[in-house]
Amino acid sequence: MYQCKDITEEVNNYIEGGLPFTKRIGLFFHFIMCSCCRNYLQQIRSTISVITVSQPKEKSSADLKALAKQLHDMCDEHEH
Amino acid sequence: MTKKNSKSLFDDEQTLIKKLIAGDQTAFEYIVSEHHNIMLSIARAIVGEAFADEVVQEAWISAIRALPKFEGRSKLKTWLLHIVSNGAKSRVRRENRMVSLDEGWESVPADRFDQIGHRLDNVYPWEEATPEALLANEQLQSIIEETFQKLPAHQRAVLTMYDMEGIKMDEICNILDISASNVRVLLHRARTTLHHSIEKYQDKV
Repeated sequence: MYQCKDITEEVNNYIEGGLPFTKRIGLFFHFIMCSCCRNYLQQIRSTISVITVSQPKEKSSADLKALAKQLHDMCDEHEH
Repeated sequence: MTKKNSKSLFDDEQTLIKKLIAGDQTAFEYIVSEHHNIMLSIARAIVGEAFADEVVQEAWISAIRALPKFEGRSKLKTWLLHIVSNGAKSRVRRENRMVSLDEGWESVPADRFDQIGHRLDNVYPWEEATPEALLANEQLQSIIEETFQKLPAHQRAVLTMYDMEGIKMDEICNILDISASNVRVLLHRARTTLHHSIEKYQDKV
């Protein structure tokens, strides 16, 4: 019998389908019985959607235009 | 030229490669703006902050030099990610560094459960459940950005590759040279930390 604590540890494996069949079924029955964990599952799914949509980026001080120019110039030099 | 315009211009990878080889400046700007972020994320995860910028710079130079020989057996992005990953791994060997996978983990607090593991608190559905509705709030958007920046480099890299770029699990294992179970753990930790931040914000409103 799975408990709410197990759900918080396995929720992402449950979403990604990385669990053995029996464990998956066990968690599925817990979701049927426990509205808190159903809501928690919905929150994690929303979190994933938010990450996908918001696309947070690595902090970087690199000047990407200058890097592109450097690579372009290097390519030019290589050709001539 | 805007990023959106250049994206449609370079939708076809073959066109992009031809333009790069021909020395088209816009193509260089496009490829760097599209892939620099994820390359940096991978380098930071493998070699750490101190050497990451240098490793990415070297990876770009190797990639552009090797571009005429690129045979298209994989996607250009995958090819670039393997170049940066290999560069970072050799740098790790040279510097004899190890980056820990275990830093920065905050699980769901134990005091939320009773002795048998049943929840003591109530969990309610979020009112603004769609990502668009959640992100319409600038405050929340900056919370997500800040939380993401604070995640350990390995977690950021896995989250970027899996949730944002849609790269498959086995490819991520190859790129970061870690097992599938480690990738799953890192993904779980990163998502849980971001969930905590959104949850705290939701509790306040």
